Amino acid sequence: MAAQLKAEYVVGSEDFDSSAKIVNFSVLGGHQQQETAQERELPSFETLMLPHLDAAYNLARWLLRNEDDARDVVQEAYLRAFKSFGGFHGSNGRPWLLTIVRNTAYSLIKKNQSAHVTTTLDEEEYLVDRESVSPATQLEHNEESKLVREAINRLPDEFREILVLRHLEGLSYKEIADVAQLAPGTVMSRLARARAKLKEFLKPRSGKEI
Amino acid sequence: MNCEEAIGLIGGYLDGELDAITNQEIELHLSDCDKCAQAYESERNLIRAIAGGAPYFKAPAELRQSIQSSLRGGVARSPLESVSEEKYPRVSSRTSERPAMVFTPQWSWLALAAAIIAAAIVAVNFVPRGQGSHGEQFLATQLIASHVRSLMANHLTDVASSDQHTVKPWLDTKLDFAPPVLDLTNDGFPLVGGRLDYIENGPVAALVYQRRKHFINLFIWRAESVMTVADKTISRQGYQLVHWIDGDFNYWAVSDVSDSDLQLFKQAFEKQLPRR
Repeated sequence: MAAQLKAEYVVGSEDFDSSAKIVNFSVLGGHQQQETAQERELPSFETLMLPHLDAAYNLARWLLRNEDDARDVVQEAYLRAFKSFGGFHGSNGRPWLLTIVRNTAYSLIKKNQSAHVTTTLDEEEYLVDRESVSPATQLEHNEESKLVREAINRLPDEFREILVLRHLEGLSYKEIADVAQLAPGTVMSRLARARAKLKEFLKPRSGKEI
Repeated sequence: MNCEEAIGLIGGYLDGELDAITNQEIELHLSDCDKCAQAYESERNLIRAIAGGAPYFKAPAELRQSIQSSLRGGVARSPLESVSEEKYPRVSSRTSERPAMVFTPQWSWLALAAAIIAAAIVAVNFVPRGQGSHGEQFLATQLIASHVRSLMANHLTDVASSDQHTVKPWLDTKLDFAPPVLDLTNDGFPLVGGRLDYIENGPVAALVYQRRKHFINLFIWRAESVMTVADKTISRQGYQLVHWIDGDFNYWAVSDVSDSDLQLFKQAFEKQLPRR
């Protein structure tokens, strides 16, 4: 039955020339085996990739500025990542996973734009305090935190993304270049432009020079 | 180093991405040039404001569970239906393929099984466990689908071992309960291995036993309360299901072996189970 279906596929795809069909045919067969092998890799996939779930969600959440979309994208990204897990040979899973999260997020953003969907931006959100702050400075801290967050959310995607990767995830320039698919030499200058833009957004609102 | 060069490198300097020589040069320049030193201060404060002020969004707890269950579902349905058309770019040269054609029959059956499970999970959600025959029917559907899926997807076991002392610790680390793992080889049911599965919104242990050429999936999860439910036998779609509860656990054995074989299996399991 398998052979029959594949044969139908080859006949049906008239837009491919014959050599392409043969290539497709063999790739298809090889891939099937690879997938069953992958099934057995689930435990090691989870061991390597699930620890980066927070990083994945944080990036998606900042890129999409919306909780529901972020969840969907992260879930989808993990499925994608599992499917291409065979191509992961490094020791550092985080940039590899974040690359997939990023691409998945942009697929959704593009799709929403072409469908003229206006995304709702979540504003109230449970936050994680990264440091314990004394109650006296809590109010001031929250105020500044809110300003910074709003300003970052107003940045263009590519600036928001690079700031999150660098300053929230702490990725190196090399890792950022991999994730954001940039030439390594351009990371520093894009970061500089992103920070300059952020500074511009922060100035009038906070009323003080940051 | 002149001011223009220094300004361009301040970010890299603060991010610790410059080489030692450039670091020295920029420090030298900053100590000499007030204007650049001011720019450096300003940039440093901004970075502190971002790192200290921007929230870090932690993944909601249930997201992990839902990812794990969809990974286990193999070809679980994509949460982003239409994005998924471009979603499985297995090999770049094949991006123009129609997605449906990529699936071999095995996988389309799997998708069907996944759909059945999804439907069962949704349905079971509305019916409290163990109440009424409806809930039980849905659970049976779920269990059969899981059994069938385990045989089709070459994912019978996560840990393949006939040694109960290998399977049990593996399962114990994955679950928040410790299911009994027994070797029933002497009773004609050799242990094949163990697997994590997902039934009724929670992870469960699935022990796989063999009976001649057939497999038996034994699903185990915690019994919710002290329930005294009579043992159940269900026959559906050519599969036999036997259910029993002991003090701590729910047991569901699913297989295509005969009902009498499955009863034998249950008896053997209960006989071997250490008495409490």
